[in-house]
Amino acid sequence: MEGVWHYDGRTARRRLPRLTIVPDGFLLADEDGEDGPIAWEALVARDPSGSDPVYGLKGRPGWRLGFAGAIPPEIAPLLPRAERYGRLVDRHGLGRATLVLGAIAAVVLFAVLSAPRWIAPYVPASWERRLGDAIVGDFGGRLCNGPGGQAALNALVRKLDPAGPPLEVRVANIQMVNAVALPGGKIVIFSELLKEAKSPEELAGVLGHEIGHVRHRDVVQALLRQAGLSVVLGGLGGDAGGSFNALLAATYSREAESHADRSAVAALAAAGISPLGTAGFFARLGRMEARLGRAGVALGYVSSHPLSSARERAFARSAVKGRAYAPALTPEQWKALVDICHNDPKVNRTPFFGL
Amino acid sequence: MQDGHDAETAFEFNGTWREFAPIAFTNLLLTIVTLGIYRFWAVTRERRYLWSRTRFIDDRLEWTGTGRELLIGFLLVVLAIFLPLFLLQFVVQALALRGHVAAAGLLTLSLYGLIFYLIGVARFRALRYRLSRSWWHGIRGGSDDQGLGYGWSYVWRSALGYLTAGLMIPWSMSSLWNRRWNAMSFGAHPVTSQARWGKVFLRFILCYAVPFVAMFVLIIAMVPMMMVAGDPRAMGGMFIIIGLVFLAFYLILPMCALAFYAAFLREAVGAVHWAGLDFAFEARTRHWLLLFLGNAGLWLLALIVALVPLAALGMFAGLANLQAGQSPFADSPGTLVVFFVAFAVPFALVGPFIRYRSWRFGVRWLEAGGEIDLDVLSQSTTREPTQGEGLLDAFDIGAI
Repeated sequence: MEGVWHYDGRTARRRLPRLTIVPDGFLLADEDGEDGPIAWEALVARDPSGSDPVYGLKGRPGWRLGFAGAIPPEIAPLLPRAERYGRLVDRHGLGRATLVLGAIAAVVLFAVLSAPRWIAPYVPASWERRLGDAIVGDFGGRLCNGPGGQAALNALVRKLDPAGPPLEVRVANIQMVNAVALPGGKIVIFSELLKEAKSPEELAGVLGHEIGHVRHRDVVQALLRQAGLSVVLGGLGGDAGGSFNALLAATYSREAESHADRSAVAALAAAGISPLGTAGFFARLGRMEARLGRAGVALGYVSSHPLSSARERAFARSAVKGRAYAPALTPEQWKALVDICHNDPKVNRTPFFGL
Repeated sequence: MQDGHDAETAFEFNGTWREFAPIAFTNLLLTIVTLGIYRFWAVTRERRYLWSRTRFIDDRLEWTGTGRELLIGFLLVVLAIFLPLFLLQFVVQALALRGHVAAAGLLTLSLYGLIFYLIGVARFRALRYRLSRSWWHGIRGGSDDQGLGYGWSYVWRSALGYLTAGLMIPWSMSSLWNRRWNAMSFGAHPVTSQARWGKVFLRFILCYAVPFVAMFVLIIAMVPMMMVAGDPRAMGGMFIIIGLVFLAFYLILPMCALAFYAAFLREAVGAVHWAGLDFAFEARTRHWLLLFLGNAGLWLLALIVALVPLAALGMFAGLANLQAGQSPFADSPGTLVVFFVAFAVPFALVGPFIRYRSWRFGVRWLEAGGEIDLDVLSQSTTREPTQGEGLLDAFDIGAI
């Protein structure tokens, strides 16, 4: 048979051999010699050259057989089919493969999104504590120890959280209005937040919120979710994966945020502390944000705990008319707490690295 | 060797976007339902199409890379490089929080140095991988160099380029280009390249001078403004000057960079020889500009395609009176999903079509002249890399 062309994979010369069909395949012969017999099953379909169908040969890189024009009908059924989408998809067809793969993807995404909630309670507290220690250490000597301050803070924590296992709440000398819950039942209040708060009642709501995060194991959940999502969506690559990841994580943290707010409201009510102070504090921070703009308070409380009128209202509405609320701390305790960093001569006072 | 082809040009692209579009659409579909894993096979399908529609002299090119080897390359890079880097980042954080600022800084600095080195290695290895998977006349390309030495070369030459206030950038670009291509071969014939930085230096200097000239002109223009300060008409003048500054930074500077890059590629590709053939790349600045304007048009088209259905569904109605601190998606996660799909799908399709246009552009302006003896052009003996361009993929940079 004529009309075939051939590269042998050893030189770039294009040959025009005769193809002869034999019982166990075919032979290629030209003036330089003969190749074969070659089994039809050993051929692999390759991309066409112009309108010429092209086949390669398993185990012979560069070996190519091209048919000038159409494939003769007696050979056509013997030749392998070309790969299109990839072997797995080709076997099942595009439509069916899409449906099955889409269903699997939905299950995987659901599992990854909900798994942290199931796993978090089983993460041993000792692991979590060690993780917290590893991340935080002693905050570079910034944890404040002014006389009476820590005792006052502990008293407030006990009022808000009388039953649970012990928490480690500290004040760090960092010039930002913020408070964070960290792995291992650690809560760190930044010194600037104490300066902005006008009364212990204002601090109590913020503290109750962070205690809520610790008690719901939100910190471990958030860590697990971030890790899981970055593994699953790592495949998407580029910006789409990253921003989608952030969106998903953000929607969940809002859920955790409102949960933490609800437990803060409950803790204030149980401790007999007025929630109006916290509502007023949020209102003041909101005005401050409006004045300074988003950039001015970046990395602060407002950027990690978005303020809204709904949040403020939730605290304000929980106030019971006519109830005689006791002060959260005595004036002496509050003063010691506010000055906890100022009264500590040993604390690190250099500007905080990187923030 | 003419074979009835258009003998005017050695390279010719004869694909059409109508043939390419089904590939791009099904690639996106499969990439979404596999949570991104399919993208390695998607890249392979794109390249197989582009290569197979590209004629060089008398036969088309062929891409034989597979999705599987790209996936393996990606996984190796994640395990061997990104995981350790990710963990080291926690070490840096812990060091900083404990007050060991100097140690944290030193560690960060050496991490950046390592990444810089790896980017150099990645560029080299990606070129080697792509040549080893590109076939023509049953012959492939490749290199016996692993590219580890090139990584160092990349670090010190680039550093020298920037440390001399950027004046040696043309030198570092040309010498790295030569070093990369001189290590490559196709078939048994080595590729040689002798790009000379002196040829493009004049254009570079002109480009370099633009910000200084602009500054000077601005100062001169300020003088009459100062004299009439307080006059309301002067305010209008101020706005014109501010407008000119923006123009200079967002239009003239990129244009200069483009003019330099166009000249650089003409010189660099023109310096490449292989098997008796001299290569040339003839695209001028205005051709590059048209390419980029076309790409910008694609982005614009995607934006329109994304906005029209959303507007038709009245999805923006709720955004008009949004309050500070209020999330537009808080009540309806469904809205969020619709937004994501409406934007992500058109924008995800821009990438493949930009790659299509870039390939067509490259082939259109690429030329080769000279004599080639196919009988003595024998197969490459270089070792074939067993995995794909994971490192390059990870840093998201181009190969050529």
